[in-house]
Amino acid sequence: MKAFKLDNEPKITTGFTTPEGYFDGFSEKVLQKIERKEPKVISIFARRKTWVIAVAAVFVVAFSIPMMQQFQSESSDIDQDVLENYITQQSTLNEDDIASLLDENDIQKMKVTTSIENTSIEDELSTDTDLENYIIN
Amino acid sequence: MDEKQFIAQLLNPKTQNEAFQKLLSEYQKPLYNHIRNIVLNHDDTDDVLQNTFVKVFQHLKNFKGDSKLFSWMYRIATNEAITFINSKAKRNGMTSEALQSKIVDNLKADDYFDGNEIQIKLQKAIVLLPEKQQLVFKMRYFEEIKYEDMSEILGTSVGSLKASYHHAAKKIEEFMTRN
Repeated sequence: MKAFKLDNEPKITTGFTTPEGYFDGFSEKVLQKIERKEPKVISIFARRKTWVIAVAAVFVVAFSIPMMQQFQSESSDIDQDVLENYITQQSTLNEDDIASLLDENDIQKMKVTTSIENTSIEDELSTDTDLENYIIN
Repeated sequence: MDEKQFIAQLLNPKTQNEAFQKLLSEYQKPLYNHIRNIVLNHDDTDDVLQNTFVKVFQHLKNFKGDSKLFSWMYRIATNEAITFINSKAKRNGMTSEALQSKIVDNLKADDYFDGNEIQIKLQKAIVLLPEKQQLVFKMRYFEEIKYEDMSEILGTSVGSLKASYHHAAKKIEEFMTRN
């Protein structure tokens, strides 16, 4: 079979055609389409309406700012120091009440881990006058 | 009259209508052919061509004159045509390649196609090419657009366009020999 070469063959056209007179009426169609898309004249009432909406929107935003701040302050966490001061100064809770609220984990965390010297225990015990009583009883 | 003057006329409300008419009569046929080569069917081409000119008119005030008016308009037409084909394919739930093959398979039944077997065969060969090669081949072979102009329209270097055309022509020749 003979190899097909584009350059050796007569030029092949697309074969596409158009309806008769298509280009005669084309520019008219385009100009009509452009006119339809041109911005329309806006009446003064329509303009006023947008102004009213804009002003209303500004009011809504202005009023909602203080409300939002209030909601936010309610939901924010209470300062730790303020809470501590309140508990120690104002409340009727005593140490036992607080101790009863602690669980095993809290107690573990509070355990003193520093080792105590034997001599300091001896000193402490020798000065304690009640020691004999404890041993006897 | 040079291009700058012509653009000034297009932007001036007093001379705009006349200048736009001139632009239309000068470019409607070449742009029609360009779009038709991409979308393949007359009615779709009519839609895309109208949208192209409307866009040209609307964006004329933003035309910087960095490129020629001619290549700027071709660029708009190319984008419009490719976007059209892609969205039409999407609407029909198929790829744009599948859509184009379907149109080419039905070319014989198209009222506005008057081609013989070899013309149909060539269209069938083109449809098998990657999108970029299709575009370059059509613009060079059918529309005979110079590589320099094509480079400005498509934003691709002349060297790469020549390579694309070379690959496209080779594949087409193989297809035409085989079938």
